[in-house]
Amino acid sequence: MAVRSLRVHLLRLLLPPIAAVLAIGAVGAYWVSIDPAKDAYDQALISSGTALAERIRYEDGRFSFDLPSAAERVLRTDKYDEIYYAVDGPDGRHIAGDFGIPPARRGQRAVQGVVRYDAEYRGDPVRVVQLDVPCAGRSCTVKVAETTVKRERLSGEILASSVLPQALLAVLTLVLVWFGVARGLGPLEGLSEEIRERSPRDLRPIDLEHAPEEARPLVSALNQLFGQVAESNLNQQRFLANAAHQLRTPLAGLQAHTELALAQVGPGRSELQEVHSATIRTARLANQLLALARAEPGGYRPETLAAVDLRQVVEGAADEWVHRALDKDLDLGFDLAPASVRGDAFLLREALVNLIHNALEYTPAGGHVTVRTGVRSLHGSEHPFLEVEDDGPGIAPAERERVFERFYRPPGTGGLGSGLGLSIVREIASAHGAQITLADGGPNGRGARGCRISLIFPATPAAEEPGQA
Amino acid sequence: MRILIVEDDAALANGLRRILESEGYAVDVMPKGEQAVAAAQREHVDLMIVDVGLPGMDGFEVVRRLRAAGQALPVLVLTARDALDDRVHGLDLGADDYMPKPFALPELAARVRALIRRSGAQTGPRIVHGPLVVDTVARRAFLHGEPLLLAAREWAVLEVLLARVEKIVSKDAIIQAVANWGEELSPNAIEVYVSRLRAKLEPAGVRIRTVRGFGYMLEDYKAA
Repeated sequence: MAVRSLRVHLLRLLLPPIAAVLAIGAVGAYWVSIDPAKDAYDQALISSGTALAERIRYEDGRFSFDLPSAAERVLRTDKYDEIYYAVDGPDGRHIAGDFGIPPARRGQRAVQGVVRYDAEYRGDPVRVVQLDVPCAGRSCTVKVAETTVKRERLSGEILASSVLPQALLAVLTLVLVWFGVARGLGPLEGLSEEIRERSPRDLRPIDLEHAPEEARPLVSALNQLFGQVAESNLNQQRFLANAAHQLRTPLAGLQAHTELALAQVGPGRSELQEVHSATIRTARLANQLLALARAEPGGYRPETLAAVDLRQVVEGAADEWVHRALDKDLDLGFDLAPASVRGDAFLLREALVNLIHNALEYTPAGGHVTVRTGVRSLHGSEHPFLEVEDDGPGIAPAERERVFERFYRPPGTGGLGSGLGLSIVREIASAHGAQITLADGGPNGRGARGCRISLIFPATPAAEEPGQA
Repeated sequence: MRILIVEDDAALANGLRRILESEGYAVDVMPKGEQAVAAAQREHVDLMIVDVGLPGMDGFEVVRRLRAAGQALPVLVLTARDALDDRVHGLDLGADDYMPKPFALPELAARVRALIRRSGAQTGPRIVHGPLVVDTVARRAFLHGEPLLLAAREWAVLEVLLARVEKIVSKDAIIQAVANWGEELSPNAIEVYVSRLRAKLEPAGVRIRTVRGFGYMLEDYKAA
């Protein structure tokens, strides 16, 4: 059976037993309290009977009964009920009182000379006590009967007074269950929140100690799953690293031989030139795919995170780019200040490589490309940033979202790009919690503006700043 | 000049051998690290090019054994793995330079030239850079055989740049190398020295590039 709502399920389970317990409780309470109450009324009737018995006289072989009318009024006066009595002689002859009060049936047991029983008199149910009293050495009978209005009212009251609290208790229980379930599931809610807010890169197990005890089996099952996913990610990373390794060596050989061949035959052999540039593109693509795989959530390796100075990343990679810029007659410049971020140095370098590569690729000869690092004030906090600006053709505002998609190349794009560069940059930025912005660059002298791409990293704690200067 | 290439990929090794031979070096190729270590102890080798991903003894181990045996020859490490990790590892173990695969042959050739020149500067007094010949002991320089007059500061700047041909040398690094103890040199002063050097060297085709916002780079000499 599918359980959609724990709350409904719990209520469904709880309601019948609660109802049963309440019913039994009510009935039990009724019977426990009704007997002593009725007994008290019986005792009053017995007292009346005893008092009446003292009024029996025996003179000259005759029984008589002498009750002052005032006393009789007192006896018969009751707020709710009619009271009847009858006094009979030893021979059963009626001496005084009302006629026709039904006698006790045979077999009804007398307790200390008193028999109590229910009967009907003058069309109403009555409660009767029958006393055997000694008179003139023999035994007379006194019966006192009372209608049952009082007793029924009492029953009703007792029933009400026992059922009402029980019913309140029941309602309270249900309310407690209703809200208790929500409250009881609160820690689970917290757990789901924790899982929801997790970065997809974060495959560390959830701390069992923080989970509510009842949820621990669920949490450890989740942890097991996390472990398996992390393991398979790791395997994939290993595979990719090996694949890249296996690809690069033959590509290096291929590139070397095409270059040698080109040197021998001289320029102008366009077929060979094509092979050579295809080799370089392929090599670059292999590098990019590897970088992309490493930047993906599965590639997250907390142990590779360290304090990285973006300035040093740029300085370390500058050599290889300066040559390419010189070849293309581009002015590649730097404006570097310390910018410490917590991240993966390899990935940050890869992001930089792709940004510079694009700028150099698309900016025509004579243009300028500037790489900047530093710390920028933004919304009152200090954010490290990495930025590459060029005065190339720029990126049309309509294209600015799409250029970050994998394999997307804006229409009319020359060059030989794979369309992966900026998506790698975006992936790496998001792995570091960095924001990526694309804005106009410097004027390109042809009536348009180039392109400026910035990675704005999360504000670093102020404590880390001084050590990096 | 004798270069030993340790690379198990025959096609790549062959390509490297051909470009280096065309540059006038004597080149040997070995596919295994163990062979290379033994050969370097047996014979004179001026420079070794080692691939990291060798079967058996890997490139790092080769460098480690060479250095452990007291061999100071320059070593250029080639790797197909993730650049940064290997670079740190390789340079820690005593490699002199590092190139990620794949690479352009002219760049490899330039790195080899720079490494050999640097190791020569350690052992011999003469540095040759195209038409420029610098005698570091006698502190004299010649351009096309003609004596070149250099002020002391110009000399110091040239020395720093010559030690790192084809690499960007930051202005800070130049200031540190040029300034005397306790002296404050401004980046502008360095610009002045460099422009004077340029005026003297560029007519002979020796070019110093400005890398805006960073520093300077002495270009590899290419005979026109």
